[in-house]
Amino acid sequence: MTGAVEMDAAGEELELLPDHAVFWRRGSTLMVADPHFGKAATFRAAGIFVPEETTAMTLTRLDELLIATGAERIIFLGDFLHAREGRAPSTLDAIEEWRAAHPWIAMTLVRGNHDVRAGDPPDSLRIECVDGPLIDGPFALAHHPSIVKGAYVLAGHVHPGARLYGAGRERVRVPCFWFGRDYAILPAFGEFTGLADIKANPGDRVWVTTGEEVIAIASVSVPQRSPN
Amino acid sequence: MTALAASIDLLNSRDTFVDVDRWFASRGWRPFGFQREVWSAYRSGESGLIHAATGTGKTLAAWWGPLLEWLEETRDVVPIAAKKVRRSTAPPLRILWITPLRALAADTVEALAAPLRDLEIPWTLESRTGDTPAAMRARQRKRLPTALVTTPESLSLLLTREDVRELFADLRAVVVDEWHELLGTKRGVQVELALARVRTLAPAARVWGLSATIGNLEQARDSLLGGTHSRASSRIVKGVEPKRVIVDSLIPPIIERFPWAGHLGTQMVPQVVAAVEEGESAIVFTNTRSQTEIWYQAILAARPEWAGTIALHHGSLDRRKRDWVEDGLRAGTLRCVVATSSLDLGVDFSPVDRVLQIGSPKGIARLLQRAGRSGHRPGAVSRISCVPTNTLELIEVAAVRDGMHAGAVEARAPLERPLDVLAQHVVTVALGGGFEPAQLLAEVRGTRAYAGLTDDEWKWTIAFLTSGGTALTAYPEYARLVRDGDRYVVQDPEIARRHKMAIGTIVGDAHISVNYVHGRALGSVEESFIARLSPGDRFVFAGTPLEFIRVRDMKAWVKRASSVKGAIPRWAGSRMPLSGELAEMLRGRLGEASEGTYRDAEMEAVHPMLELQRKWSAIPRPSELLIERTKSRDGWHLYFFPFEGRLVHEGLAALLAYRLARLKPITFSMSSNDYGFELTSAEEPPLGEALAAGLLSPDNLVDDIPASLNATEMAKRQFREIARVAGLVFPGFPRAGKSARQLQATSGLFFEVFRQYDPSNLLLTQAHREVLERQLERSRLGRTLQRIAGAQVVVTSPPKITPLAFPLWVDRNRERVSSEKLADRIRRMQLSLERAAGKT
Repeated sequence: MTGAVEMDAAGEELELLPDHAVFWRRGSTLMVADPHFGKAATFRAAGIFVPEETTAMTLTRLDELLIATGAERIIFLGDFLHAREGRAPSTLDAIEEWRAAHPWIAMTLVRGNHDVRAGDPPDSLRIECVDGPLIDGPFALAHHPSIVKGAYVLAGHVHPGARLYGAGRERVRVPCFWFGRDYAILPAFGEFTGLADIKANPGDRVWVTTGEEVIAIASVSVPQRSPN
Repeated sequence: MTALAASIDLLNSRDTFVDVDRWFASRGWRPFGFQREVWSAYRSGESGLIHAATGTGKTLAAWWGPLLEWLEETRDVVPIAAKKVRRSTAPPLRILWITPLRALAADTVEALAAPLRDLEIPWTLESRTGDTPAAMRARQRKRLPTALVTTPESLSLLLTREDVRELFADLRAVVVDEWHELLGTKRGVQVELALARVRTLAPAARVWGLSATIGNLEQARDSLLGGTHSRASSRIVKGVEPKRVIVDSLIPPIIERFPWAGHLGTQMVPQVVAAVEEGESAIVFTNTRSQTEIWYQAILAARPEWAGTIALHHGSLDRRKRDWVEDGLRAGTLRCVVATSSLDLGVDFSPVDRVLQIGSPKGIARLLQRAGRSGHRPGAVSRISCVPTNTLELIEVAAVRDGMHAGAVEARAPLERPLDVLAQHVVTVALGGGFEPAQLLAEVRGTRAYAGLTDDEWKWTIAFLTSGGTALTAYPEYARLVRDGDRYVVQDPEIARRHKMAIGTIVGDAHISVNYVHGRALGSVEESFIARLSPGDRFVFAGTPLEFIRVRDMKAWVKRASSVKGAIPRWAGSRMPLSGELAEMLRGRLGEASEGTYRDAEMEAVHPMLELQRKWSAIPRPSELLIERTKSRDGWHLYFFPFEGRLVHEGLAALLAYRLARLKPITFSMSSNDYGFELTSAEEPPLGEALAAGLLSPDNLVDDIPASLNATEMAKRQFREIARVAGLVFPGFPRAGKSARQLQATSGLFFEVFRQYDPSNLLLTQAHREVLERQLERSRLGRTLQRIAGAQVVVTSPPKITPLAFPLWVDRNRERVSSEKLADRIRRMQLSLERAAGKT
């Protein structure tokens, strides 16, 4: 896939996709963290206007990823629905329609903290819901980053972002894939989600995504702290 | 009214002013002519604006109008010999007194109470602000006092009450104190809208504004009284002339050839301490709250024996602490108070006989106001001594003096139709009994700020609150406002509750209260500062070294730390730009220096530094634009020196970076200050080519300015405030549980989502407009470019960073403009490694 990067984790080859997802080719599995469906509707229900197109765009991007990868299975790494108030008919109908277009794809949700409060997706969506971690091959699939003995954890929850510095006093902040010793954290998939700066450790591997291209961050250094 | 008619009117009215004359005489005073003019005008039903220097009787001019009216109305009523005025029997609300700072409310009440007491007027007089205790609020909810002193936010809150029409039934007058402080801010627009509401609910109420003298008094009057007032029934009353003011400087003994940056300026502590020792009681003004903390520590370290008689004062401190400081100043028990603009206004501190200004005065009017805090004794001269925090500021002091002698006064430009404030006000009115759209539109257009509101903008605002503003999609779950017959109302109590909380937060960023673990509140700091702390970290706040423990219940819990070392919180939005008037005087002073003329002590002091500037580069004349080109480890640097103030420079920097980046793929990081701006890049910028292609041309601005704006994050940053005022983001409410957490999103996120999916959202348009008009002072930017177009461009290649460029070079606060692919930029960059704390 254009702009994707192949890398090795726990002896398996993973593809880091520019559109905030991971494809595990041997397992024919697409991994997506933190879609937060219904977040816009949650805000609207509280009298704060957010346009609904965020849901449609999130689903369109999932369509494109399924076509591009030929994945047979999607694992959502938590926070599928944002909140109980966000279970608006318009949002759920859009997801139903999307599900109907991909009847043969197996879908699993490893519940996240938002799912606990928002409730599982409706049965009609045929998304299997489990509490994490879900062991699959060498991986433990989870929402919260944690340490699982004998497995490498793939998780979400954090919405990781990286601050980058460069010559000419350059600086940008971009979403990233963060692979540590015990676990990896995927960028948030949802359209209406923010970023949290990561605090990487020596030896961690970090790839950032521009939305079109995944780029490895070669060197990890301590920047000069500004006087404030 | 002609002068003759006015004086006849004065003569006629004189005999009815017996009460006031007697009261003034009992204090050994005599009313000023301007006060009599106001009382007559008030009696004949006029509204108006009174402008005069601080401490010259504006308050009594505005207060006695309503008092005389009462005395006249009750002349034939036999007074009831009541010992105490009861809330239940006192007259209903007659007077609203709006004050911009809640810190001023208590003092105002005290000043207004004296004549009530002396003349046994049976009114109740109380304040209502964010600081008012719950019990008092509850009593006020049942019945308001006869005269209410309140803030713009609390006035808007009153308007959310369903019985607001009855509350205002007997309202005679609204007085807006310190109107110049509100003018040109969103709070000022909030007041304009509230006054429009008041005019509808109580058409007979007169409105009087009190203001310092500013350059645009007519506009200030029109903003206060609305576009509908007739000139015949309103007037501008000039008060007494300000006292004589002396502006001088504490000159550093050794002038560094490089202007040192930022808060390193505490080298001047010995001189400041010596100056404080000269007087009985001193105020040391700084420009930011952080500087207040820093200078307080520095002075205390130099004179530990002053502990207990030195204090600090800024807007983020807890009210009780501020009260204590103000009382101390009034009583003369404090030797020295380090303060920000929180002490600029209102209150009279007679014992203060020495005023110092740390850092740039930034504007002529502002320095005069601060100078006026001293010398309150009759015949005394106000004196203010400026303390430079970098050498260049000495030139500003000389320039301020020039401006003062030339009688230059800055204007405060009012805002034009901010839709975020309108959206908030519309919800307020919907809560206060609902509204019929056509009627409310007419009322809103009656204000100066919204006189030019288009039908489309109005329709969009209503749609934004009812359906989201986009015609394409229907959202059954969304409705801040709902239709009830021919009126719009708020039905959801949760929305009502949140709205009332949001009204109070029109100013400032999300703040978090700082509390001792076992006990009292110290004040508040920005959430972003606390977010950077880890438990155990030390910081200094309210003059006290503290150790951060944790955040819980929207409070930062701390305990006292032993060491003074630690970070000082910074508060955003406190950097003021140099005023246009002062900038012009500054260019004049540099022009003189370029001819070798150094007048006054300040200019003599900066002589060596400017001569170094001349040797390495040039001292620009007013007819020249200086551009310096240098290369350092960081990359290539271009320095431009238009001397037009920071905001204009931010706009110019973005514009020039955009134009340069069109010639080749390149990324610039930019910094700006009051003198100029810097463009830094990893590769050599095509300066010569760009100059030939019209880099500084005033042509194509209509296209280039918005494009350069889009290339930076300026609009996105401006959207922070808009999102807050329009009720999109909340600064976190007390004891809000988990349900609030799922409503957390940053204004940046809203900005991106709107930009992508709702680009016609007028709040986005507003963000762009605000950056252009407010932040970039568009008219000033245009004038600057015209000036530069006619200027001679002087390009130098100094061997080193010059004295003028140095402060820009060290500034880390940067905007960016790029014409490169993000991926290409990222390949050059590194990830910063935060010290691993063993957790995420």
